[in-house]
Amino acid sequence: MISDFITMKGHGLYVWLSFSIVFISCTIVYYKTKKTLKKYEQEFLAELQTLTLEEKNKALEKSKVAQQILATSSKTN
Amino acid sequence: MFKFFSSTNIFFLIQKLIKFINSIFFLILVIGLTFALILSPPDYLQGEVVRIMYVHVPSAWIGLGCFSLITFLSVLNFIFKIKNFYFINKSMAPIGLLFTCLAIVTGSLWGQPTWGTWWAWDARLTSMLILMMFYIFYILTFKLLNKEELIIKVSSIIAIIGSINLPIIKYSVEWWATLHQPASIKISGSSSIHSEMMLPLMVMLLVFLLYAALIFLMKYKTEIIRIKKKNIKRD
Repeated sequence: MISDFITMKGHGLYVWLSFSIVFISCTIVYYKTKKTLKKYEQEFLAELQTLTLEEKNKALEKSKVAQQILATSSKTN
Repeated sequence: MFKFFSSTNIFFLIQKLIKFINSIFFLILVIGLTFALILSPPDYLQGEVVRIMYVHVPSAWIGLGCFSLITFLSVLNFIFKIKNFYFINKSMAPIGLLFTCLAIVTGSLWGQPTWGTWWAWDARLTSMLILMMFYIFYILTFKLLNKEELIIKVSSIIAIIGSINLPIIKYSVEWWATLHQPASIKISGSSSIHSEMMLPLMVMLLVFLLYAALIFLMKYKTEIIRIKKKNIKRD
């Protein structure tokens, strides 16, 4: 039964290759996108660190996005 | 109303949506794969190879859908100059390209045991290849051009010209004699696909849509951070 499932009556190569290509491509794109997002978050934080304390507080006060990125990064770090 | 669509509100909404999709995705993927690979019956003519349909068809639909949406938003952006549409299109194009490529590759793998050939220069296959090329040109404008105004103009023109290809893809199987079978699923009129195959197809479509939404949200979030980073000192 398992061998029937794997061979798919002689069409296993085509079926499994199709599903594998989709799975591998989607996984690569997912991790690449996630990595880019993390990179930008890190760069944003680094940019925030270069500001003076006054500028930093002003930026955090005005930008909720900055607050959120800072909060997410402190959770993950 | 417009305040709700501010980048800050969108940013929070994106965070929530990404968490939500991440929480349900794996479960729906397992259900979809169980239906597609185990529970759905083999085709009376094609046999087990019909299972490729569960990855090929949703990929093609999403590839076409993304380009239709990109064209629609490009036209709106051309008229109303809403910058947000530019970022939405920029985030959506790579997803459309990925799924168009997957539709072509899985179609080729389906074609070999069914038609006896990996590729034929027939109307449906060629028009899908043209769609892939339009996606590549579209994405290249973001990579090669520097001025945002110029990118918006050039990419919109590419999207509008490329949209001529969309009805050609849709009706190619009716207008010309092609190797590709006619549509089995029709929005208006009765579909010729059995419900035992229709259900797995719809579940797999949901899986692909959730994945596409997840990638789109992450890319769009990256764009928001990129803009905020630019404006950090001005804020």
